[in-house]
Amino acid sequence: MQIRNLLNTSKNHLSQWLSYFGLGIGVLLLLSSMQMFIDINKLLKDNNPRKNGYDFISVSKIITNDNMGKDNTFKSDELNDLHRQPTIEATAPLISNQFRVKATAGNVIPFSTDLFLESIDDDFIDTVPPSFKWQPGQQEVPIIFSSDFLEIYNIFAPSQDLPQLSDKTVSSVNIILECYGPNGVQNFKGNIVALSDRINSVLVPKTFMDWSNQNFGGVSTVNPSRIYLKTKDANNPQLLTYLDQKNYHLNKDKTKFGRIKKILQNIVSALGVFGILVIILALMLFSFYLQLMIARSKDNLQLLLTLGYSPDWLSKTVAKTWIPVYIGVIIAAIILTAVMQYFFVQISFAERNDLSYFLHWSVVMVGILLLALSVFSNYRLVKKELYKIV
Amino acid sequence: MQIQLLEIIPTYFEKSVITESEIWGRKVVFNQGEHVHIIAPSGSGKTSLIHFIYGMRKDYEGRILYDETNIRDLTLETFSTYRQKNISIIFQDLRLFADQTVRNNLELKRQLNPYHPPQKIDEMAMALGIQDKLGRTARTCSYGEQQRIAIIRSLLQPFNFILLDEPFSHLDDANRLKAFELIKSECELRNASMLFADLKELEFFTNEKRLRL
Repeated sequence: MQIRNLLNTSKNHLSQWLSYFGLGIGVLLLLSSMQMFIDINKLLKDNNPRKNGYDFISVSKIITNDNMGKDNTFKSDELNDLHRQPTIEATAPLISNQFRVKATAGNVIPFSTDLFLESIDDDFIDTVPPSFKWQPGQQEVPIIFSSDFLEIYNIFAPSQDLPQLSDKTVSSVNIILECYGPNGVQNFKGNIVALSDRINSVLVPKTFMDWSNQNFGGVSTVNPSRIYLKTKDANNPQLLTYLDQKNYHLNKDKTKFGRIKKILQNIVSALGVFGILVIILALMLFSFYLQLMIARSKDNLQLLLTLGYSPDWLSKTVAKTWIPVYIGVIIAAIILTAVMQYFFVQISFAERNDLSYFLHWSVVMVGILLLALSVFSNYRLVKKELYKIV
Repeated sequence: MQIQLLEIIPTYFEKSVITESEIWGRKVVFNQGEHVHIIAPSGSGKTSLIHFIYGMRKDYEGRILYDETNIRDLTLETFSTYRQKNISIIFQDLRLFADQTVRNNLELKRQLNPYHPPQKIDEMAMALGIQDKLGRTARTCSYGEQQRIAIIRSLLQPFNFILLDEPFSHLDDANRLKAFELIKSECELRNASMLFADLKELEFFTNEKRLRL
């Protein structure tokens, strides 16, 4: 004998189906926006110049007709002043070489140029492989090369009869660094160990820079002409006003990517919030349906309670009646989200391996959680209504 | 189990009406195993008393105890446990699921806390002469048949006390006796008590404690 037969569920199919439909749409919106959020995070991670949620921007002094030819490096009091700004989390100077460096690419690529080298704190570099280390006496110097420079090289290389280089092959190019000092030339073997999106420079380990500046350039302390700032938000008006006042030049372009990501994530989050609202509305609609059903079945439910059926058991049983429907609705939403994800990846990012064709586990978890929440909220509602009719 | 009525009076009663009552306003103890015949003329509050004891209404003064527990303090959840295990009832107004079949009506009670196997339903229906009514909806049964369904329903669970509120009002003498014998034997099976309320004294109810309401 099924308790269900005693419930008057025959009428008002419209509100019942509308609430299922609404719940499905809401769950779909919430789950797909969650998955999108995760996708955006993954997609924009590799190219993201941000590190741990910070913006890194390069600051130098603006070269004008007035200060041309003068010393445009940062002095220690200027550095201290930068440090004191509340909008700036940390600063790191870019130390450049104080001697002549020439780079040749050996016999494979007939290319030779005067070069500049810089060094900066490792914390400020977005890609630091473990091999980015140097000790006095070491012949090989690891180099982190700006990916922008590589792009520029690849643009002019064909016209100069030079081979174009990919991210992967660039590490196999043998660069010979000729360092000119007072006691003649010393050669080092340069080795590109990583590419940096953040820092437009040719970076060598700090230990090499300090050693070579002393050895070849004969200087121990160098005032930097470029400073990298670590800040929570490079577009903070307070920070920009300060930098303008000081006549510092900064490269804002690098932070655009992070900003796009933030905007995209805000849009997707808004979509998710909308999904939650739809779910709440659907659950409310269903609760009206339940209340109506209980009011219609009042006599039967009252009699069941009189005969000794426990209100708790009865609420559970009544709530359980809709579990299969809820499972159906939510599984349909999960499957639909999965299908959307599959086609999204298939159509837009098939050649890239950074997106999964499958849903992130947390998305599925939220689906299951919503199922539990719906069943539980129904159970609570039925119990409350049952106590009303006693 | 023991049920005690401690000076209970319906709140809507005038005190002068109850002076001759052996229950209202007095201390009455029902012990398990001893049957009690409550003789209650019309308007004496018979149905109210049964409902008070069963915990369906609380508009009385005084206290009703199941063993040591004041039932006014019981939750609906605890009451449902008592109604499954300790106290059964036959309502005067029967209270069947009108749209359900007779068998469903009986199974709804039996499955809640099975004391008898399903076949017992057929046996009891046979004993009371309604075996051919089991497949019909309760609505289509006569009042006398419905009364017998309610009697059988009350006997399908375990109990220490069974509350009977004019259970035979629509039965002829032959069926009354059959029904009474069935209830009595089921009580003996459980060492349970009848609290039997009726308008007048029943001739076959002998050797029992009698109280005038």
